[in-house]
Amino acid sequence: MMALVRAIRGLSTLGGMVAVCLLLVALASVCHLVFVRYVLGASAIWQHEVVSFSLIGATFLGAPYVLMTKGHVNVDLLDLYLNDGARRALAIAASTVTIAFCGLIAWLSYGWWWEAWAGDWHNETVWAPPLWIPYAAMPIGMTLLTLQALADLLAAGGITGPDPAVDTQQERGPVKPLGASK
Amino acid sequence: MSELELGLLVAGVTVGMLLLGTPVAFVLGSVAIVFLVAFEGVDALDIVPNVFYGGLDSFALLSIPMFIVMGGAIASSRAGSDLYEALDRWLYRVPGGLMVSNIGACAIFAALSGSSPATCAAIGKMGIPEMRKRGYDDGLATGSIAAGGTLGILIPPSITMIVYGIATETSIGRLFLAGLLPGLMLTGLFVTWGLIQARLTRDVSTARARAFSLREKLEVLPRVAPFILIIAGILWVLYGGVATPSEAAGVGAVMCLALVIVIYRMTSLRDHWAMLRSSMREAVMILMIIAAAELFSYMMSTLYITQSLALWIADLEVNRWILMAWINLFLLVAGFFLPPVAVILMTAPTLLPIIEAAGFDPIWFAVVLTINMEIGLITPPVGLNLYVINGIVPDVKLPTILWGALPFMLCMVLGIVLLCLFPGIALWLPEFLMGPSF
Repeated sequence: MMALVRAIRGLSTLGGMVAVCLLLVALASVCHLVFVRYVLGASAIWQHEVVSFSLIGATFLGAPYVLMTKGHVNVDLLDLYLNDGARRALAIAASTVTIAFCGLIAWLSYGWWWEAWAGDWHNETVWAPPLWIPYAAMPIGMTLLTLQALADLLAAGGITGPDPAVDTQQERGPVKPLGASK
Repeated sequence: MSELELGLLVAGVTVGMLLLGTPVAFVLGSVAIVFLVAFEGVDALDIVPNVFYGGLDSFALLSIPMFIVMGGAIASSRAGSDLYEALDRWLYRVPGGLMVSNIGACAIFAALSGSSPATCAAIGKMGIPEMRKRGYDDGLATGSIAAGGTLGILIPPSITMIVYGIATETSIGRLFLAGLLPGLMLTGLFVTWGLIQARLTRDVSTARARAFSLREKLEVLPRVAPFILIIAGILWVLYGGVATPSEAAGVGAVMCLALVIVIYRMTSLRDHWAMLRSSMREAVMILMIIAAAELFSYMMSTLYITQSLALWIADLEVNRWILMAWINLFLLVAGFFLPPVAVILMTAPTLLPIIEAAGFDPIWFAVVLTINMEIGLITPPVGLNLYVINGIVPDVKLPTILWGALPFMLCMVLGIVLLCLFPGIALWLPEFLMGPSF
């Protein structure tokens, strides 16, 4: 069981790295767009779509990493007033809701992605990219998200301990000025 | 069941599920799906992936991650301390000048970073220990920074305003402009109160800093000026209608990254990766809520809840200002428990028809809503800024910070009242620069 949880966390971390790379792709594409449009005076063809696709892709592929590092905002009001047992029950219920929702969206989006692939959908633009490529981010991301929520459920149920490799406390803090300590 | 009862049921179920501790995004999505299936049948699920993905498919929305990277780049450098240092060197003669420098530095840094907790961390780390050293009361030192940090979501460019603009289909350029004067007004109110309190407690008279020569005053400027020029450039480009918010934000982000590397010699790839990763986390969190909120508002309007609620409130024929007071109270309570972005996404699409039916301007309302959300940032249990400051000075207890921040909260309430009396504070600038909105 521990190995399964570790594997899921590995996948979530990988998703997070891909998301950061997609963020960089989006930044580079926007700059290229601005250069082409305002410096060269030409019209941009593919940049808008690449920016959209990369950032939406980053959202879905990065979401499991964000869940793993407790970055999705939630209301933890009751946590303050409950004892350990009730808190654990609450964590189990919370993870169950996440699994149900993400699992359902993952399942629905597979069908949606399949339609785009089988029907050879294209964006109605000059560039006209095939849509199954960007759409794939949703089923993949939501599946990983379901798995990560499952890993959290296993941890909350006491089946596995929290992964010491993931320092969530450090991740939760605000952006720290890196140079401040120098 | 009438649409109104249905609306109450939706609200009840949503609050109940939020209390479980499930992330906001997944609560909104789950509630939307449960109600869609219960009232429209299983077939309603077919459209769900389309709506969910479509919620993110907007070019304006994509400026959010770019602005986050821009703020992250600045916040990860020493720009905050330099800004503080620069203001202190210029204002050290003014009684209570240190506190004025702090609030001023917060306002500028807030505009640069667009994030309240990051502002508190960056300015507070330098400012709070310095103020305490020079004899300021702990409550004033921490409270002023907590309040100053909240300006981040009001002074443009503001991520909260972008989110409101997208949720309500309002011009983001106009919203940014509308936030500028109220942001300066709040800064002024904070400074005024700080000076009054410093006088009352007379704890500044002993707090003389050493004098600074003109050279010392000038040498700090070149490190701060480029960032301020970038922000000014972004605003100019947006209001000139030269470029879209996403284009301006993307170029601004890359320029800030470059400046951080050139001015602060931040060349470690590890540092940059860490900064990009935390920017990604924040952006993904917000975008996920946006996608789910799209599903939520789709459900609300498919089941006619939004429309019926607006009609029902219009039929009540209550005084519009009493209505505005109730709406603010509701938002204030929501703001105690949820971060601004989540509150706006959950409520703005439903509130907007009500606001417009009552004859209020949606741009003006955005400013009132944002100041209301600022109060939530310095009130427990979710007041992010309080915890950031508690982290900087662990020996100052949370209640002290809270008491210190209380007068500044009242300044914000006063700000809202002033905006109600003089809507022009928010509306004059956008109308002057961009023409009337209708």
